[in-house]
Amino acid sequence: MIDTLLLLIPVIPASVALLLGILQIVGNGQKECWERWVSGIVISAQTLTCFMLVYVFFAVWTGNVASGSRDYGVWITCGDWKIRWQLTLSVFNLGVASVFALLILVAMRFSVNYLHREPGYLRVFSLLALFAAAMMLLLLGANAFLTFAGWELVGLTSYALIAFSYHRITAANNSTRVFLTNRIGDAGFLLLIVSSSIWLGTTEWQAIATAVNRLNNNQMTLISLGLVLAAFVKSAQIPFSPWLTQALEGPTPTSAIFYGGVMVHAGIFIVIQAQDLLQQVPFVMHLMLVVGCLSLFYSIWVGLSVADIKTSHAIATIGQLGIMFICCGLSFWTLATWHMLAHAIVRSFLMLSAPGIMLDSKVQAVTSFKNRFASSRVLYRLSLQRFWLEELNDHLLVRPFMRLTDDMAYFDQNILSRIISSPIPLIEKVSAIAEKEEDKIGAKLNNPEDTFASGSGLAAQLTVLAAELIHQFEQHFILYGLGRDSIQLGRRMGQIANRFEQLLLKPRYIILFVLICLILVLGGGA
Amino acid sequence: MTFAKTCGANMHKSIPPEVKQSLLNTIQHLDHVLPGQAPIHDFVHHNTLHGFQHLPFEEAVAEFEALTGISAYLPLQRYRDWYAEGRINSADLDWALRQGLPDLDRSVPLMGEQFTRLDIDKAILLSDCRPLTLAALNWRKQHMSQHEITVWDRFCSKFSMGVKDFGFETEFSDHETLNQLTAIQDFFDQVGKTKSLRGLLLSLTGEDVLEEIRPSLIKACAAVLDEGVAAWHLPDWQTLGWYTSWKKYYRSEIFLVFEDQDDFEEFWQELPEQPLDAIIYTLSSFAIPPSNWNAYLQRLALEIPGWSGLVNWRQHHPEYRQADGATPSLVDYLAIRLILDRYYLGAFCRRHHLPSARFDRLLTYFRLHQSEFLLRQSLYQGELPEAWVNEVRQLLKNPARFRPQQMLLALKIQQWQQQNERVLQPHSAIWPVFVLCQQLNLSGHQLENLDSTSCFYLLDRVQNFSVQQQAWLWLNAYEYHYQQQLLKALHANHQRGRWADRHQQRPEAQIIFCMDDREESIRRHLEEHNPWLETLGAAGFFGMAMHYQGIDADQTVPLCPVVVNPAHIIREYAHRNSDDEKYQRSRAFKKKLAAWVFHDLRTNPIFSFVLMPVMAPFTLFSLMLRSVLPGVWADFQAGFDRYFFSDIATYLQIDAESPQQIASPDSPRQGFNDQEQADRVMAFLKNTGLSYGFAKWVVLMGHGSSSLNNPHLAAYDCGACSGRHGGPNARVFAAIANTPKVRKILAERGIVIPDDTWFVGAEHNTGNEAISFYDLDKLSGEQKAEFAEIQIQLQHGQKHSAHERCRRLASAPRQPSLPKALRHFYSRSHDFSQARPELGHATNAAAFIGRRSQTQGAFFDRRLFLISYDPTQDANGTLLEGILLAVGPVGAGINLEYYFSTVNNEAFGCGSKVPHNLTGFFAVMEGASSDLRTGLPKQMIEIHEAMRLQLVVEAKTEVLEAIYARQPALQELVGGGWVHLSSKDPETGVIYVFNRKHGFEVWQASEQAIEIKENSYDCYRNSDQALAPVLIRQPIVPGVQL
Repeated sequence: MIDTLLLLIPVIPASVALLLGILQIVGNGQKECWERWVSGIVISAQTLTCFMLVYVFFAVWTGNVASGSRDYGVWITCGDWKIRWQLTLSVFNLGVASVFALLILVAMRFSVNYLHREPGYLRVFSLLALFAAAMMLLLLGANAFLTFAGWELVGLTSYALIAFSYHRITAANNSTRVFLTNRIGDAGFLLLIVSSSIWLGTTEWQAIATAVNRLNNNQMTLISLGLVLAAFVKSAQIPFSPWLTQALEGPTPTSAIFYGGVMVHAGIFIVIQAQDLLQQVPFVMHLMLVVGCLSLFYSIWVGLSVADIKTSHAIATIGQLGIMFICCGLSFWTLATWHMLAHAIVRSFLMLSAPGIMLDSKVQAVTSFKNRFASSRVLYRLSLQRFWLEELNDHLLVRPFMRLTDDMAYFDQNILSRIISSPIPLIEKVSAIAEKEEDKIGAKLNNPEDTFASGSGLAAQLTVLAAELIHQFEQHFILYGLGRDSIQLGRRMGQIANRFEQLLLKPRYIILFVLICLILVLGGGA
Repeated sequence: MTFAKTCGANMHKSIPPEVKQSLLNTIQHLDHVLPGQAPIHDFVHHNTLHGFQHLPFEEAVAEFEALTGISAYLPLQRYRDWYAEGRINSADLDWALRQGLPDLDRSVPLMGEQFTRLDIDKAILLSDCRPLTLAALNWRKQHMSQHEITVWDRFCSKFSMGVKDFGFETEFSDHETLNQLTAIQDFFDQVGKTKSLRGLLLSLTGEDVLEEIRPSLIKACAAVLDEGVAAWHLPDWQTLGWYTSWKKYYRSEIFLVFEDQDDFEEFWQELPEQPLDAIIYTLSSFAIPPSNWNAYLQRLALEIPGWSGLVNWRQHHPEYRQADGATPSLVDYLAIRLILDRYYLGAFCRRHHLPSARFDRLLTYFRLHQSEFLLRQSLYQGELPEAWVNEVRQLLKNPARFRPQQMLLALKIQQWQQQNERVLQPHSAIWPVFVLCQQLNLSGHQLENLDSTSCFYLLDRVQNFSVQQQAWLWLNAYEYHYQQQLLKALHANHQRGRWADRHQQRPEAQIIFCMDDREESIRRHLEEHNPWLETLGAAGFFGMAMHYQGIDADQTVPLCPVVVNPAHIIREYAHRNSDDEKYQRSRAFKKKLAAWVFHDLRTNPIFSFVLMPVMAPFTLFSLMLRSVLPGVWADFQAGFDRYFFSDIATYLQIDAESPQQIASPDSPRQGFNDQEQADRVMAFLKNTGLSYGFAKWVVLMGHGSSSLNNPHLAAYDCGACSGRHGGPNARVFAAIANTPKVRKILAERGIVIPDDTWFVGAEHNTGNEAISFYDLDKLSGEQKAEFAEIQIQLQHGQKHSAHERCRRLASAPRQPSLPKALRHFYSRSHDFSQARPELGHATNAAAFIGRRSQTQGAFFDRRLFLISYDPTQDANGTLLEGILLAVGPVGAGINLEYYFSTVNNEAFGCGSKVPHNLTGFFAVMEGASSDLRTGLPKQMIEIHEAMRLQLVVEAKTEVLEAIYARQPALQELVGGGWVHLSSKDPETGVIYVFNRKHGFEVWQASEQAIEIKENSYDCYRNSDQALAPVLIRQPIVPGVQL
């Protein structure tokens, strides 16, 4: 009974998300009369989930059901290596999950009126349902793989909601920036998963936390480093903080629940969950302390000069998360847990009611910052420019990343597709001018050159395919290569090689290379 | 040569003063083109195009569109939909065309002359004959039958046959060389006129550098403009001035390291001390031709209109937030903007392999590389066929490497473009004519026989009938339709309404509401319920212009229309000092609590660490409750408030303590003296026509609206009270009018108020329909019992009004019971997730100035501003003149703000509330770094019908004509077509419509009889759309003067 309920907790919202996803694809445009149904389904599912969570939580809390993890079979098999569906049954996980699920429910209720008649109503609700499912998976997953799956889904929904009004350039750009910054955290998480799989043969949190005896110092450091890196990014700690302020482009309720209430706490959550491991690695504990302090400091300083209410709350959130990391760094795990819950609740409330701040604060201005530091231009500048972290992030992280993808696209277009016979011209032909040209000629085919042979039936299709392949080969390698272009080709190859070398010397590749080496060395040292 | 010398860094020193003066004039003039919205807590409706109001409406709109590219009409398709729904009919359209275009009856040489120009133009209006893209045409062709395709093909060939005769050349010569020099020159000439350098670079790179500039600029602005979100502001700016202080603070950016901008440092070194000099210096460093400077500054300001507008507003209201001691100005703002431009554009050009961000260098560069110019322009202006896009993009990645390839491709593109220009394109030119012919009901056979003269006639007409002109005609037709309905109802209602004259009988009670359109429903329901009630309407400050300080406020606020500058201060006090102390203590406590929760939890992390765990359990409880049952949460909160903070009895200090002191706006005096009190009451009573026949009870009903989580709160409140609640004004009026000495003075002047008449001040909440009464403790026991009767009747009105409102709200219950309807609005206004606490003035369409008896008895669907005025007491129109001058601009302001926010919500309104983010207590942004959004949010205008106000006045045309001739303000408003004026003769009931060209013209009622419904409910049930006025059956009440 409890096992089934536990399984249903992430499954119900997930299936609702799936249902709405299908509805969105098959439904021809969004209709206002759907609103009631859409929100009705999502909210009932979430209410049900909340009840089940609370029930299971009490069952475990009172000791009627033994805590531990539950196994629901195999997800992925790879040789003798298996990833299993495992969910945790523990007071901590279920308690956090209950509170977060309630807050998600509140945000959903809020969205019913707030997003009424908004194009994208269905989208928001399906994403909220997906978020709820992902968050439950993240909180209840008993192995790092499941948690990671939830982690990624949460990131994905966040990405989609920042770009909620995708016609606005800022929203679209910022969603990409946030998405890219968060990939650093993924790298950390993957490091954790890969290294624990290799050294422990499992990714179960239980095993990771109690693996102290089976690992040496380097190994533990590497695993915990991966873990806290992921946590720092997700919980917007220094130096990754700027993503949080960039993420505020979405609708108010989702901003509240993602960047104030629930999602940002995922980082601190996995840290608390792995406390037994982290406690064995003083370096990482110190790191958390330092990063937490820096973030707190950043939040206090920057928060003084922020003039818009959403950003102000986001900056304050960074500080509170910093305090939680400080608590963790000082081994006050329980305090961190309680503060996490309290902060999630209060911040959700504050961000949901942010539009009404003028009335709520009884039209009082915030107390002015007046002391001997206040007249310092240098200090003010640091505060207003937010320590240039945003720009730094863009220059060191986002732009190189974008260039990397540019390089990849170039590689794809100019090298890969040339080698495996180009599909690109075909795509290009389906365009206005091509249509016009063809209209003139009166040809019915997209391009006569590509389909010089034709036939019907399977055998004929195969023959045509083979003929086309041979034709392409002939054209690209024999005609171009050996014929008129052979000398030029050689020269071009030389140029390409040069370029390749130049590219590899660019910082982005060097950094990539150094990172790989570092991981290998640390791991090899084990 | 150093940088400073090359860019003329010292140029600003040698600038003649008249150039500086002309720049300053330009900046001053920006007041006309920038949004004029005040900080959001002082939101008051005004004409969005206020700077263009001196022009006639259609010209103002055209000029604004030419300046900004923003259209101020609804999309044509919307009007066509209404036509299909019957909201506009054929006769309306004919009328609009005849009014708007000359020469319509001329017959047209087309298929044996069966058509007039009217037919053709009407067909153009009715058909969607926009040019298509090639792809769209191909798609359509796929959905045509074989026969249709044949017809289409023949139709096309007809054009190509006739092409030579009509000056279209089909042959073109192959240009072997690229010839772009004129194009480049033309393109660069736009800088200043229609584009800034940023706009120029945007069209050449497809990337908007403003995305980088804006966040920096916003920080710079918010650092001085903020009114309460941030604790720390730009140090010393009040003493040094914004620009100077910013310059000291900013220096150059630290991350120059990344962008390696070697010349910015030099530029910065030379930066002048004065903002105006800095503007000139920076403009010279961009090498913008001096003749374009003025236009360039205007362009810059219009690129970020919201922020520019707020700075402009602050500049023009130096008295606002005087405590700061300094006023931010547009000169500072523009200087900062230009310097940021200088910085970011430099980096931007470098990134895009362009020479430095100077006008002259860019021009030279593109003259040298014409092919690159052509490629860039055709790629980023969206004119390039898809097939070439990828190739062009590759070639532009590193322009210097691919010059020969660029040249080849540019030649190809140029040839393609020339071909496009010279040939009549089927998709863009012939298709519209084809659609038009279909609209004209030409058969396939007729189409085939159409001669080419006719074809080209139609082509000419289609191409020359601008979208703007079409929209203008549609708008007129749309307004005409409603005008006819409205006038028909007024005409049919002649002599049906009660209390045209109260000499024989006095009503049971008179209730004076605000003129607000939202009060029309409750007034109608009250009158329907009890025929012995009379309701009146007046601007909701009841003539009591004052600075008011409630017991719960820290400072005074003006309660009167924004144009009035009050000369008196009224304060609210508690009756007992002990009460007052207690009240102030609990108020201070609440404020402290609010500051802790809403400010300290943002700015004080250590404090939050302590407070949050304490708050969390209560917060979770409140969140759950208020998101599920907002009404219950409100009850709970109210109960809590009652238990801990008891209400106290208060009074207003109305009598002046030093009556001899002269009161003026500059030195306002505490309280009114006797004379002033009597004057105000007298003027008000005469204006509304309530100078005789007083009922036993006269209730003055101010209004306001309450909602949570709503930055646009003030936009829902009383416009006549500067966007605040009008209750205190009603209270002051009632208190004054009840004073025996005032009544005595009034009696001396001819207005006799019976001794048993009692005035009561009250406030109606248009959001949740609640009505609160003031000073009921002054009533005697007997009076209390009597007044309870009136209160019960008002409750009836509340419930029915709530019921009527439900139908327009999609999320309200359908056909609810009366208590449920009322409860719905109660919950709604206490729901923090509600983005539409009420619909505001969304239904406004017309204003009626005259006796209520002219409108009472008809159902106007909450669409009328109702202003009471009795023409029988005002033979020469002096009262009317005052009313028109006061009410005209207020009504027009509300109506036009709704009009513009509705027709183009993205440009004139502020878009959806959903991503809004309150900034600095003064406006909203979308997300964290957008422009400030001014105007009304989408949630307020969804159901609004965008039309100009129909102003109907009950007066003789001679009186109106005389007033019109005297008052330039009315000439501008009425003569410019910003409102439509009609009049109804008080005696004969004949209606005249004011024609802007010919003056008043007699209006003829159509033959069709108007419907008579049993009651209001019959009028509106089964419909959630706007309804046409109809009559309601009136009870026969003996003795009541009709």
